[in-house]
Parts: sequence; structure tokens; C-alpha cells
Amino acid sequence: MMTPLARNRIRGMVIHAVLFIVLGFWMVPQIYMLSIGLRTPAQAFDAELFTWPVTFDNFVTVIRDNPLGAIFLNSLIITVATVVIVVAVSSLFAFACAILRLKGSIFLYTTLLTTLMVPLASMVLPLAILLQNFGWVNTYIGLILPYAALGVPFAMVILKSFMEDAPHELFEAARVDGCNAWQTYWHVALPLVRPALVFVTIWQFIVTWNEFFLALIVLTKSEMKTLTIVPMQYSGLYMANPGALFAILTLIALPLILLYVLVQRAFVRGLLAGAVKG
Amino acid sequence: MRAGSAVAAVKRRSASRASKLYLFALPATLLFVVFIAYPILWVAGQSLYVGTTGGAVFAGLANYITVLGDPTFWTVVRNMFLWGVITIPVQMLIGGLLAYFIERHTHALRGFFRTMFFLPVVTSVSVISLVWVQIYAPYYGIAQEYLKDVGIVMVTSPIGDPKTAIYALIIVNIWQWTGFSMLMYIAGIANLPGEVLDAARIDGAKGWRLAVHVIVPMLAPATKSLLLLGVIGTLQTFPIVHLMTGGGPNRASEVFGTFIFKQSFVLGDTGSGAALSVIVLVIALALSLIQIAALGARLSPAGRQRP
Amino acid sequence: MATLSIDKVTKAFGNTTVIPELSLTIEDGEFCVLVGPSGCGKSTLLRIIAGLEPISSGRILVDGVDMSDAEPPERGVAMVFQSYALYPHMDVGRNIGFGLKIARTPAAEILERVSRAAEKLRLGSYLKRKPRELSGGQRQRVAIGRAMTRKPKLFLLDEPLSNLDAALRVGMRVEIARLKAELASTMVYVTHDQVEAMTLADRIVVMNSGRIEQVGTPLELYHRPANLFVAGFIGSPAMNFLKGCVDRVEGNQVTVSLDIGLSLTMPVSKAPQAGVEVTVGIRPEHIVLSAEGQADAFVVKASVVELLGSDTFIHVREGEESLVIRDSGGRMARAGDRIAISLPPRACHLFDKTGQRIFDAAAATEPA
Repeated sequence: MMTPLARNRIRGMVIHAVLFIVLGFWMVPQIYMLSIGLRTPAQAFDAELFTWPVTFDNFVTVIRDNPLGAIFLNSLIITVATVVIVVAVSSLFAFACAILRLKGSIFLYTTLLTTLMVPLASMVLPLAILLQNFGWVNTYIGLILPYAALGVPFAMVILKSFMEDAPHELFEAARVDGCNAWQTYWHVALPLVRPALVFVTIWQFIVTWNEFFLALIVLTKSEMKTLTIVPMQYSGLYMANPGALFAILTLIALPLILLYVLVQRAFVRGLLAGAVKG
Repeated sequence: MRAGSAVAAVKRRSASRASKLYLFALPATLLFVVFIAYPILWVAGQSLYVGTTGGAVFAGLANYITVLGDPTFWTVVRNMFLWGVITIPVQMLIGGLLAYFIERHTHALRGFFRTMFFLPVVTSVSVISLVWVQIYAPYYGIAQEYLKDVGIVMVTSPIGDPKTAIYALIIVNIWQWTGFSMLMYIAGIANLPGEVLDAARIDGAKGWRLAVHVIVPMLAPATKSLLLLGVIGTLQTFPIVHLMTGGGPNRASEVFGTFIFKQSFVLGDTGSGAALSVIVLVIALALSLIQIAALGARLSPAGRQRP
Repeated sequence: MATLSIDKVTKAFGNTTVIPELSLTIEDGEFCVLVGPSGCGKSTLLRIIAGLEPISSGRILVDGVDMSDAEPPERGVAMVFQSYALYPHMDVGRNIGFGLKIARTPAAEILERVSRAAEKLRLGSYLKRKPRELSGGQRQRVAIGRAMTRKPKLFLLDEPLSNLDAALRVGMRVEIARLKAELASTMVYVTHDQVEAMTLADRIVVMNSGRIEQVGTPLELYHRPANLFVAGFIGSPAMNFLKGCVDRVEGNQVTVSLDIGLSLTMPVSKAPQAGVEVTVGIRPEHIVLSAEGQADAFVVKASVVELLGSDTFIHVREGEESLVIRDSGGRMARAGDRIAISLPPRACHLFDKTGQRIFDAAAATEPA
């Protein structure tokens, strides 16, 4: 007879073991990518997950030969600007709906919400034409503003529900303390929904950084390209040299993975705090 | 009611101050009008014209008739149907199981598992696509090599065969987005009211019975959101297909994204590209509204730009 | 300090009238308590005074100036909220000084006023703490401190003690009484707890369904409740009500026969007609336990006895009526015991069919 305690421990170990095995399979693509990047040209086409020995030559080569820094900077500028605009605009709007309860704001809210039901696929053609008319092809702004417009509705939903959940007396206290609408927004509403702001910031960052479809159409000049759309061009360039190709893919994927690992705790905290309600 | 009246006092006193408050809503409204509403209206209008933007001729529904008569369109519809019907439940199932075991049976390693299974979501989709091309590749790809060991022998690359291409792509999509379903369920499980679980335990429910009879029904809101997001995500599928098969071979894995891309930007047929855009839009709105009406699902979280 | 006049104010949410026409003047420096059951409109009235709730009609005057549409700071109000409403992201010092900061008070003055308030409220060592690191009583004091530093003309408190546990509540009540003396501000205090109302108020306003039932000093309300509602609301345990009808009227003496089979003769100032239905009210503490066989004794059977140590509450059921008797004499009684009681006519209150007071005998027992 096993004691219940012992049985629990064994069950825990089995569950952990199974999770690790599943995770092992789950990580195969990433491991494979890194593994090819670390191969010598001779091993590059081996149909194996691991090869030995490893070499860092590929990384050295691709870093030396390619303007990865400039491409990274393009991604960074577009993403940071989009995130700032989305967070600012959506929090202002959420404040207008949840706290100020402006007449008509719920109608506006519902209208903006339909954006969430619009697949990007049906937007690329009209957006491409619009940006062409504005002369915004191959400009940062040509991506930033459409991304912001597409990102605001989701951020707005989350921030609105957080503001609605905040104790209403706090906003009345602010009024008694003499705050006008802007001061209430800045000094009370924003600090109160901080976990939601963090969550929205991180999610928008991930989404914008990895956006592909619109970037593919708007950014045609190579000096404007972002990290998400350059891999295609390298897959042509390094057709015969998978080691180099996968080294560069690793480098392209790395910044966001590292960033996520750094901020995941705050991201999940926002999520658990109710950023996502069914 | 209270907040509304709080503002009402201000409104009464000075109309100008009240209208100033609308500045809070202005930026979002402007972005929506310029970059969402206007383009949609434009594309709806454009779908009724034939020819390039310059010398377009009004053609009524001609574009729609052309598009609906194109056999590729029906391949796309079939692929999208398969995509949604396979991707959504499988992601929910795997994501839900992972979430359940990670949340309820791990402690010290909880954060580690949560993070690792979510990594495919934050990995650039173009990188993922190229990696999977390599995995599926004939001769040097590991998929064929290792599947041989378990008795599955493939003659060609799974993405090179018109019969299997779409399924091969679906696998990649499931792999990339399961972490997202997992995280949604984790949020749901973490926020389950502890008292209800305790009550269920006192009623004698534990293990699988607890999971199936108590936890699964209580996660219905997360499931509904995932369903809604899954449908939108399916309709906007693009990068994986574009990068891995380009819709081929022989248009067998074409999806709405790639179809619109080809019509609009490769062939320059703005009219039928616009008609397709409108069709996708109408399907998305219809399916969303049906779900919201039928399930009472709320359109909330984390959905945008989800392939 | 300021005089507050509420002039024919009404308030409706949509089609629901919360406050039908209401007028009330609160004098300069007065501590006025609004009391009533939940949903009686007392909190709404306080929020109207604060300027958080717009009025549907009427006027709010502060020192004679029409402030009906003014924002809270313009009215010179400060408010302590029921939930305290402390800003969770600011430490105690910033919470207390926030209003001053918004009013662009020089930093040095903010610092000085915050530390003065903190000292007065014994919060000096907590200035750098966040609200979540404080106990309920400390949070309460921060909320009061925040209101104090504004040097308000009107100091408003919305059920400030209702979130505290019983022991703390007594302590804070004493503290508020002390503050009242120190601040010499006009204070309006909302509560549903009549003990708070009785102990703190200069004047109590009893409200019920948006209307004022009676305004008066605590003792006026206790001794001369204007109607059944006030009589039942003020006092704990609540006043006993016994149904009966007027038997005889002789000059200014009226004899009422009660349904429980007892007859009482009492003096009245304005005689009702014989035969009308009335309600006699008597407080549990005014019922006298007497020996069986005494002239006016009425024998009842105790159904439940609550021993509180200092007092004994004896519950009695007689037919349709029930009575509570409060005995402070340390008499031992047990459920089932037969006890003799008498109802001193001078301690009785008489109310007519509409619930209005018609009899002033109790005035005689009021301390001169």
C-alpha cells in the first residue's frame, strides 16, 4: 500500500516527465534551427537533429556580411512607435468610455470593436492603395499608423474592462481632490491599470514586431525592411549554405524571444489579473 | 449611472468643456475612420469596377461572378474550412491539456513551462516557416528521416504534394499557436474561484471527474474567445502559406490571404482582389456575429493579426 | 466653516425619483448626521452636497452662494469615502497631499500641511507606506487626513466606519468626536448606524425613501420621535409597538385598550376621537418589571431571554404582538418564566393610524 502522499509525489514526477517529453518535441524546430546554424558546410545537409562538432563560423559570417543592425533598427522604430501610439490612444479612449462615459462613446466603442472581426487579409489591398495615395510606401509612418489603427481596438477592450473594474470611488475622490478629466486620467486612471498597460504593451510589441503581410507590401526598398520580411531574401541568398541561413534566422528570431523571456512574468501577471476575460 | 452623472454636471455647466472631453475619444476615432472604415468602404466600392484604378469601368457584380467562377476560389474555401476545423479544436485540446497540467500539477517549474510552450508564438513567423520547410524537405529534412524510423515513409515532401500540402501547413500553424491557447486557458484556470473547486472536492469530484465536470465547463468563456479568435485567425492566414508553399503546388494550398495577394499585387487585378477582400470581410463578420448570437461569446482578447 | 442650504432639491435617475423635493439647512460649524436605512437616499444626498451627483432641480447654497453646478473643489468640500478611496499607487504622504498638489500649492507648504495632518492622526511613521500596507484603521485615518489638509468648508463623511471591525469602530468614533472639536468645520456625516448618529451628532436628520422624517438633536429624536418610522429607527433594541384603539376620551385623559388585553390611561395635549385605531410605542428600557399582583401589572411569559451581562433582553410573544424588555437590574429570568410587567403611561408614545405622533406624554420624562 502506498500512502497518499507518496502516490501524489509519484504522480507529480510522472506529470513532470511527460511535460518535459512533450516540451522536447515542441522545441524541435527551434533546436533544429540552432543546430543547423552551428554546422560546418559539410554537415549542413545531414538529416539529423544534432551533429558534432559545432562551429560559430556561420554566425560570424552573417553578422559580418549583413546589415542586421540597420534592419533591427527598422523593426524597433516601427514597433516602439506603434506600441506608444496604441497604448496612448486606446487608454484615452477607454477612459472616455469607462470613466467619463461620454454620450455616444459606447456606440463608438462597439463600432471600433468590429475591427477585431476584420481579417487583415481583407485590409491589405485597400491599405496598400491608401498608403500609395498618401505617398507613404516605404516609410515608417506608412506601417505605424495602420498597425496602430488595427491594434487600438484590442488594447481598448482590455483597458476599458480594467478601468471599469477599478473602484469607482477613486475617480470621485480625484474629483473631490480637484482633478480635471486629464489629471484624473494621468494621475489616477493610468497608474491604476498598470498591469493591463504592461500586458497591452507587450502583446502589441509581439504582434507588431512579427507582422508580415502588410510589411511585405509596404516595405519594398531593402533599406526599409524589417526583421520579419528579410528571411525570404536570405533564403534565396544562402540557398546553398543552410548553415549561414539558419544562423541568420536564429539571430532574427532571437531579440523577441529574449525580450519575451525577460518580460513574461509581467505579461502573465497582466493576463492573470484579468486582462483576458472570456 | 454614477459616472455618467458625474460628467453630466460638467456638461451642464459648459458645453465647451464637455466637447473638450471628446478629445479623449478623437485619436482612436480618427485612426479608425482613416485606416479601417475608409479602406473598407473603398474596397467595397472598388469591387464593383473592372480595370486598374486609373481607367476603371463600372461593372456591377462582374468581379464577384468572375471570382466565384474561379475553381481556385473553391479550393480556397475548402482549405479555409479544413484549416479552421482542424486548427481550432486541436489547439484548444493540446493547449487546454498543457494548461491543466502546468497550472494544477507543477509549482517550481510553472513559469518555465508557461514560457517555453509560448515561445513559438513570439518567434518570427517567417523564421518558423523557413525552419519547417527545412524540416519537411526531402533527403535532408529531419521529418522524413525520423518518420522512417516509426514506419512512415514519404515519397515526396509533404508540402510538395498537392494532397498533403494543406495538412502540412496546418501542422505548422497548430505548432505555432498552441501556446496561445495554453496561455488563455492558464488565465482561465488561475482565475477559477477556489471555493467552487473546494466545493466540488467536498462533493467527491477529483482528478478527471473534477476536470471534465467542473473545470471544462467553467472554462467555457476562454473556449468561446478562442473559437472566435480562431475563426478570424483562420481567415487572415497568410505568412505560413505564402512562405512555405506560395499557395502551391498547383494552387492546392491556396488560402484567402495568398489568393488576395496574387490577384491584387501579382496580377494587378484590383477589381477581383477587392471583390475577394469584401467576400472575406463578409464571411468574417457573418461567422463572428453568428457565434456572438449563438454562444454569447464576447469579442475580447488577444486576437488581432493572429494567423 | 460654512452654512449649507439645500433648497427644494430633487433627484431622479431616469424615471426613478430618488429624492423628492427636499430642503435642509445645516448651520455653520454644525456636525450633522444623515441617518436612515440603506437605500433611503442619504448617500445620494451627501453626493449631491459634494457635487458628485447633479441635481434634477432646486439649488445648493454654500454661505448663500449658489453652487448647484460647481465642481467639488469650488464648493470647498472634502470627503471621506466609505471605501476610503485611497490611491493605491501613492504612498500615504502623496495620498494626503494630492489635492494640494492638484491645486498647485507650493511643495514646501504641501509638506508642512501633510506632516501636520499626519502628526495629528498619528500617521507620522507611515508616510512612505502604500495604502495596502496599512491596517483598516490606519487607512481610515489617511482618508481623514486627506480631507483635513484641504481645509474644507464642508467636511463630508460617507459611512466612514462601516468597513471597520467592531472594536476599531468604537475607537475611531471617539477619534472623530475629537476631530469634530478640533476642526470646527461644518460636517455632514452619513451612517446607517444609529449609535454613531446619537454619539456624534449635533443634529440628526432621519431619512426614509428620499424624504426627511425628522430633524432634531439626538435626545429630541429619542424622546419625541415625530412618527413611527423615527420611533422604530432610533433606539436599540427598537421601540415596541402595540396596536390598540382609543376607548374613552375625558378632557385631556385618553384611555387606550391594547389588543393584548391591557388598558392604559394617559394624558394628551390634543385628544383623538374615541374609537380610532392607534399604536402605542414604548422603549424596551422603559418597561418596568414589577411583582405579580401589583395593581397595573400584566403577566406575560418570556419566550427568549438574552443575557448580555450588563443587560438582559427578555422577548415576549403575546398573541399577534411581540415585546422586548430590557432589564438592567441584573434580574435573572429564563425562557418560559412568567413575569409581571407594567407600562408606565408617561413613557408611552402614541401614534395615529398614519403613523404620526399624537401624544406628548413622554415630554414629561425628558430631562429638563
